[in-house]
Amino acid sequence: MQRWQLRPAADLDLPMAARLASPLRETGLAALAGRLFWRALCHRYLCARHRLTVAGAEHLPAAPPFVMVANHASHLDSLVLADCLPLRLADRVFPLAAGDHFFADPARAAFTAMALNALPLARRGARPRQLAALRRRLTEDGCAYILFPEGTRARDGVIAPFRAGLGRLVAGTPVPVVPCHIEGAYAAWPASAPLPRRRPIAVAIGKPMTFAAVADDKDGWRRIAAAAEAAVRSLAAGAAAPNSGAGPRA
Amino acid sequence: MIAGRLWDARFAFEHPATLWLVGGIVAALVAAAAIIGALQAAGLIEPPLRRELWLRTASWAVMAPLLVAPVLLGAFWTIAGVCLLSLACFGEYARVTGLFRERLVCLMVVLAILALSFATLDHWYGLFVAVFPLGVGLVAIGSIPLDWPQGFLLFGCALGHLGYMANDWDYRPVVLLVLIGVALNDIFAFVVGKALGGRKLLPGTSPNKTVAGAVGALALTTALVAVISVPVFRGTALGDLPHRLVLGALIGVFGQLGDLVLSSIKRDVGVKDSGALIPGHGGVLDRFNSLLLVAPAAFHYIGYYQGFGLDQPTRILSGA
Repeated sequence: MQRWQLRPAADLDLPMAARLASPLRETGLAALAGRLFWRALCHRYLCARHRLTVAGAEHLPAAPPFVMVANHASHLDSLVLADCLPLRLADRVFPLAAGDHFFADPARAAFTAMALNALPLARRGARPRQLAALRRRLTEDGCAYILFPEGTRARDGVIAPFRAGLGRLVAGTPVPVVPCHIEGAYAAWPASAPLPRRRPIAVAIGKPMTFAAVADDKDGWRRIAAAAEAAVRSLAAGAAAPNSGAGPRA
Repeated sequence: MIAGRLWDARFAFEHPATLWLVGGIVAALVAAAAIIGALQAAGLIEPPLRRELWLRTASWAVMAPLLVAPVLLGAFWTIAGVCLLSLACFGEYARVTGLFRERLVCLMVVLAILALSFATLDHWYGLFVAVFPLGVGLVAIGSIPLDWPQGFLLFGCALGHLGYMANDWDYRPVVLLVLIGVALNDIFAFVVGKALGGRKLLPGTSPNKTVAGAVGALALTTALVAVISVPVFRGTALGDLPHRLVLGALIGVFGQLGDLVLSSIKRDVGVKDSGALIPGHGGVLDRFNSLLLVAPAAFHYIGYYQGFGLDQPTRILSGA
């Protein structure tokens, strides 16, 4: 018999406004309903306007925890990756979003938290503490994180070096990292455009990688970021030469 | 008459006592503020206590109108307010206890609260009373994937609905129909499942049940109940085909859910059967688990259209 654990919501002690921007945020049924509605809207939009195609979905782990990483050139990216995941995970999928931008004011924070289900990740300052909390939560709650290790949208659409924060989440753990490459999102909605355009978007999902044997230190974090970056770049090369298949070359 | 009670605010102070009570609330708030102000002016209270008193009074000054306004505006607003209050209280309870992580169970509780509010607004006492046992049944269904035996103790009461049907003069065919429908449903699930095999329904809960068995049993039970109930409901509100099909589907769905509720418990306790009274079947509960949820569901469905024993004398033992 499974016991009902008397474990209060992790953000119970926080004031209402701080809950939204907390990496420990846990929401209820109403938020889940809102999120499912938002996911349905996004799915229709991405299919209708961007003819979204997904290759390599069989590489996705059957169950969380895992971390999806991809190149980042557009606000559409996190919607695209979330759309690759089954609806039954709607409760477990958390894009990690820049805390200084997406949680800057209450209205934006409410949307980011309730519709996108994003958790904040500071680009500096509280970053190490937040990454530690996110790392704990990843395995304890069985989450699926969506992370763009470049740290920001590439203003020219070219993949920038991956930051080591990804390594802090998974170094020394069996949590798989799933490399993904998003093709077309930059043409559809670059950072310079006010609104998205009608352009096709394609996602290639690569084989998961684990870093259980990698040391949880600076050197290890860098190696993980480099490995993930190489995997995403190889998926990008595969997308450039469409006949070579979607998975990363062994 | 109805609209007046529901939302005509012109009747807010029709009863003189309402005016007295609302006036009393306002006077109490003003008096509280005056007393705290006087104590503060006289320097009789320390700053921490002073802050707390003002904070509490200010909270009351916001809460009192929020509570009183819907009551004054009309029955609809009162009932809607109570519904929101119930949802808010449950939401807080769920977050404190961690129940909120079990989405299906929470959804069942929310559905029960909404059904109760509907029954209240509709002024339908029968449903109002029924929501309690039905809600417990819903929570039990919602906890099948979790393997919790929560709320199971009320299933003794659930079966009681079958007995209550006997207060009707023509109860015999109805009770027999329910018993036959449930038994056929079990047999169909067993036979179709064995014959077709295939994917398991809920392998973690009940290793022998298959999707094919569940779907096949539902289809066959619905069809068969619709057929054999023709003479039972001839000439009544339930006599037409759609109503008989719904009754069959209710028996098919709730029969299998009742079975699963018990399976989830037995599986975790590590027993195959709950008893050994009936050869080939196991215990009493093994045989009648599928009746547990069907009894209240069928009772309220049939009762909605024709009631049970409405023309029969009431309180035949306790009455004068």
